[in-house]
Amino acid sequence: MSYYFTILSPTDVPLFNIAFGTSKSGGDGIARFRFPDAAQNTYMTQFIINSSLDMLEEAQWMSGNMYLKHIDTYPPASAYISAFLTPSGTRFVLLHQPPQPNIPASSSTSGAAGSMSMSLSASTTSSSSGGGLFGGGSSGRTSSSSIAANPTAPQTEEAVRQFMSEVYEGYVKTVMSPFYRRGMEIRSPVFRAKVSGAGRKWL
Amino acid sequence: MTSPGDAAPVKPPPSFSPGVPRVATKTRYPSQRRDSSASLESDRAEPRIGTSPTPPLSRTTSELPLRPASPHGRPARSSTPQAGRSSLGSPIDGRADAALETRSLIIRSFSPVIGVYASSDTDELVRQKGFKDGFWELIRPFGENVPGKLVIRDSVGSSRGWEDYGVRFVDLKESCQPPDGLNQGRNSSLGQVESVLEKQLDSPGTPLGGSVHPNDLLGLSTTSPLYKLYLRQLLSIATASPHETFRHPVASVIATSSRNPAPLESLRQLYADTNNGSRRVPDWIHPEYLRYYVLVHDEDRDDISESTKLYDQMKRHFGLHCHLLRLRSNQCVVTDDDSMQVPECEWLSPSERLLGHAEPLVDLDSDGLLYLFESDIMAIKSFVRELVAQSVIPFMENKVAVWNDRVASRRRGISGRFMSMSRKWAGFGSSSRSSLTGAGGGASGNYNVAHGFYDYDNDEALLRKMADYAFMLRDWKLSGSTYELLRSDYANDKAWKHHAGAYEMCAVSLLLNPLGMGTKTKLENVDQMFETACYSYLTRCSDAPNTLRCLTLAVELLKIRGGSAAESAAKWAMRAMDLGLIESIGQALFSERISACYASRAPVNGVRWGSRRRKAGMWSLFAADMWLRLGKPALASACLEEAERLYADVLGSDGVFPMPEMQTLVDNLRLSVKVGYLEARGLDIKEETGSTDPLDNEETSEKLDRRLNRRSLIVNPLDMGSLALPPVQPTRDEDNLGNDDFERA
Amino acid sequence: MAHPARHSSMVSMSNSIQTVTPQPEKQLPTPQIQTPSQSTPGLRVPSNRKTIYDRHLNRSRNAELSRASFAFLFGEMVTYAQRRVTGIQDLERRLNEQGYPLGLRLLDLLFYRTISTSSSSTLTSSSTSASPPNRPLRILPLLHLIHGPLWRLLFNRPADALEHSVSPDTPNEYMITDNDPLVNTYISVPKEMNQLNCAAFVAGIIEGVCDGCGFEAKVTAHNQPTEMWPSRTIFLLRFGESVMEREKVLERAGVK
Repeated sequence: MSYYFTILSPTDVPLFNIAFGTSKSGGDGIARFRFPDAAQNTYMTQFIINSSLDMLEEAQWMSGNMYLKHIDTYPPASAYISAFLTPSGTRFVLLHQPPQPNIPASSSTSGAAGSMSMSLSASTTSSSSGGGLFGGGSSGRTSSSSIAANPTAPQTEEAVRQFMSEVYEGYVKTVMSPFYRRGMEIRSPVFRAKVSGAGRKWL
Repeated sequence: MTSPGDAAPVKPPPSFSPGVPRVATKTRYPSQRRDSSASLESDRAEPRIGTSPTPPLSRTTSELPLRPASPHGRPARSSTPQAGRSSLGSPIDGRADAALETRSLIIRSFSPVIGVYASSDTDELVRQKGFKDGFWELIRPFGENVPGKLVIRDSVGSSRGWEDYGVRFVDLKESCQPPDGLNQGRNSSLGQVESVLEKQLDSPGTPLGGSVHPNDLLGLSTTSPLYKLYLRQLLSIATASPHETFRHPVASVIATSSRNPAPLESLRQLYADTNNGSRRVPDWIHPEYLRYYVLVHDEDRDDISESTKLYDQMKRHFGLHCHLLRLRSNQCVVTDDDSMQVPECEWLSPSERLLGHAEPLVDLDSDGLLYLFESDIMAIKSFVRELVAQSVIPFMENKVAVWNDRVASRRRGISGRFMSMSRKWAGFGSSSRSSLTGAGGGASGNYNVAHGFYDYDNDEALLRKMADYAFMLRDWKLSGSTYELLRSDYANDKAWKHHAGAYEMCAVSLLLNPLGMGTKTKLENVDQMFETACYSYLTRCSDAPNTLRCLTLAVELLKIRGGSAAESAAKWAMRAMDLGLIESIGQALFSERISACYASRAPVNGVRWGSRRRKAGMWSLFAADMWLRLGKPALASACLEEAERLYADVLGSDGVFPMPEMQTLVDNLRLSVKVGYLEARGLDIKEETGSTDPLDNEETSEKLDRRLNRRSLIVNPLDMGSLALPPVQPTRDEDNLGNDDFERA
Repeated sequence: MAHPARHSSMVSMSNSIQTVTPQPEKQLPTPQIQTPSQSTPGLRVPSNRKTIYDRHLNRSRNAELSRASFAFLFGEMVTYAQRRVTGIQDLERRLNEQGYPLGLRLLDLLFYRTISTSSSSTLTSSSTSASPPNRPLRILPLLHLIHGPLWRLLFNRPADALEHSVSPDTPNEYMITDNDPLVNTYISVPKEMNQLNCAAFVAGIIEGVCDGCGFEAKVTAHNQPTEMWPSRTIFLLRFGESVMEREKVLERAGVK
């Protein structure tokens, strides 16, 4: 399972991006997206997420829940989109792509790994300092295999919800900062570490 | 309605093309074949009158409302590029037109097939007129659009008139080929479709090549002609096969001529051929189709009174299904006073189209076009109308009624269910009825497992035939319920192709039936049926062309339904792309189509949500990307513009994507399109000096100017200045910095 | 969703700021108060290695604050806002603008606290279940949210009244009444500034909450003294056109 998580402002501006892979069942935590065309790797995630906002905007007014669950699918890449909406209109969008057993993951996605390496390295360096709370201890959870297998299963929904809630906590703390203004990119490495920690813990 | 390809041979030689530039533009992109031919022979003030040669019999019918694509109906986007933006958001009537058009196209693709079998003297007569393939080739184009309104009664007795009815004339021997013959061509038939498209795009002489006006290609709400060509090609692939009867002859025209020394004997001989001789149909085609006898009278050489006498005799011997067709045997040339151009065939199979394109450029003397005397055309038209209205349709109506009574109602009742159940267990029941060839070989009822068909008089085959007749008579309610009846039978027999076909047509019938559905559950049903059909076609039978046809029908019909069905349509289109059935040009066309599906989803009134603008824009961009990779910057540019239009609502007022990598992609696409344009222009200048291309250049430059006025391009003023040079990335960045400065101040 | 005008203006503002100072090092994304750390560049990490992100947000939930310090702080804010203003309206606008971002932030905090304290049932006026609270989709729940939970968070009591405009011309106007606004308790307005109501700051907060929830609105504070409540203040909420349109659609769709 590969994940791409984005925080978007109410005006669709990305405030925070991170790509990571599952750490469950022996995953190494590195995202390996595969798209029909390797050249698309750099932009596809953003397009899919952006296009899912159509669905999000509709779901937003149909249910008052903050966690909107799985809202959209992009069939060509079998990418699934889950969304969480803060009361102030900021959107958390998680793209998840289950692994495909018959395609060796490493072969097709060298481009993706390259483009993501920046964010990843940032998160790994900072996790040494800030992310200690959720170390490797939680990686052995039993529900993990089902998450990877079925992106729309109730267990997956629950795991994503937990992840979103944890990110929400960090987000509220960020927003409370007097140095943070609405619509600003979130650059705190601690926040990034928190998010990737939550990813390790739940996804 | 028509594709640019149809118009290809019609391209006027320089001497004919009028001096008015707009006309020339139109002929390059004829939205309708008839218009393009109009510019040939008359000035464009009256394109219609000159073009659709209609006999007095149907003066009112020359304008068929279901055949839109008239130049007046098209959004005139090219002339008012800027005003478009805002107002184009809801081109409602245009959209409706396009939907009707596609619907009509699909309906007409399932037209009854009428075999043609003419005596050799008849063919000879017609060959004199310039038609190499004889009588069949002569009447073929006129069957595709039966003039006038045709009234059809459905199974419950209510009538409805259809303006766009057509039949398809085929050479009878095509129907008589064994099914093995098809299997060879099958794998390549999708490849052929792609080749047709390629040819269409690449040949510089045809309207689609080179520097075209892409807005006409990808008309906003209308369907692009290229896609229509693609769709028509897909729907034309099918040849007669056991699993559906659409390509089985419903009737056959048996023709002889006044030249024949013994016309009646000749007709008898021809009839015998169709029964037992060389034109005998295979076992899976019902042999009791309608025979229609035609006597072709040679106006130029023979005596009409003789022929009339002969005709009376014919009627005595063969009954009412006879016609006396009076034709002149002299060849008509364009300079003759009452010459009229023969309309082109709309429904050419991919292989025919590939063959056909090679010829017309060779012989400049006759410019590859065929002409007929007006009197001939009128005679043929009234013949076709009489044939269809008075013989074929009543024949089909009657058959449907009979079979419905004899087979279907029995099966619909409780006893019928019981019978089908018992048959399943014991292998008797309805099979005992089959009197002719012993079909009960397989343990599973009537299905001939070895050859993969039901004999024509088994219940399953009759029901299918009845459903297909009902479908072609546009009684979708009856056809739908009949297909539904058949589905389980075919599954029990493991007749997978039949099974797939029944599911496919059941869903199609449901979607075509205007009152058929609406609720969400039904939509899910339809989705499920298509799913099953695809699975059976592809996985069980590895029949790629039919799978693709099924998927395309699903896409188009669901799109027409609109609302959430349009979204489902987009999903099927993605599936089609995903299954690897489509080659590169098709992929680009399908991407455009997905975009159109999403774009057709209108936002909820009064609020922002409900539309799928971002998805539509995304697919438009992907299509642009694919066109660029195929080396078609003009088409890519059209897609790019469409994407801009779609994204306009969701992007900020500056038109910049919030996501950086999306913006990068769009910028790169724009750049490549521009470079592609400039290259194309350079090549134009190098290769063709003068001849027809002052117009072209004008068009191109107009296009470039216009694009520069677009908001999105204004962002980089420097690029504008350096238009002559290929724009480079660094300049861009400086510009952006400059803009920021400006904003800050 | 509707993009409130103010959101976009803020976004563009922050964007321009980012371009002015492109290096992330110059910005302090998180409020760190103590000595710089050695490991992560661009960020000062407290010596105990506990950043704000490691503290629990609910710890200060029931913490008391001296009224005096609040009064001083608010007084300073009014003084600050008063600099270079052209008139009372301008002053109120500036107070409103000071409150607006607070409203946006409070909204997130409010929901976060109700999620994380499962026992609490304070958010929606009627909710007693432990399920997470809903974002307000219609005007009425939003008003209840402001009237109840928001007021409790800010002032430890609900507001005093909630009314809908009776005039058919202004169906988009709602009023929230506070009989004795905390912000005005220690402020006596000079006679020549009779019109001024410093609760414009609170109006700004309300506006931020509305805007954050996607309800474009203008909120103003007005003096409506009575015998019993000399500093009674009415907050007038005027919702935008798009909000009213959406109200109708949602009503038809049966969304509560």
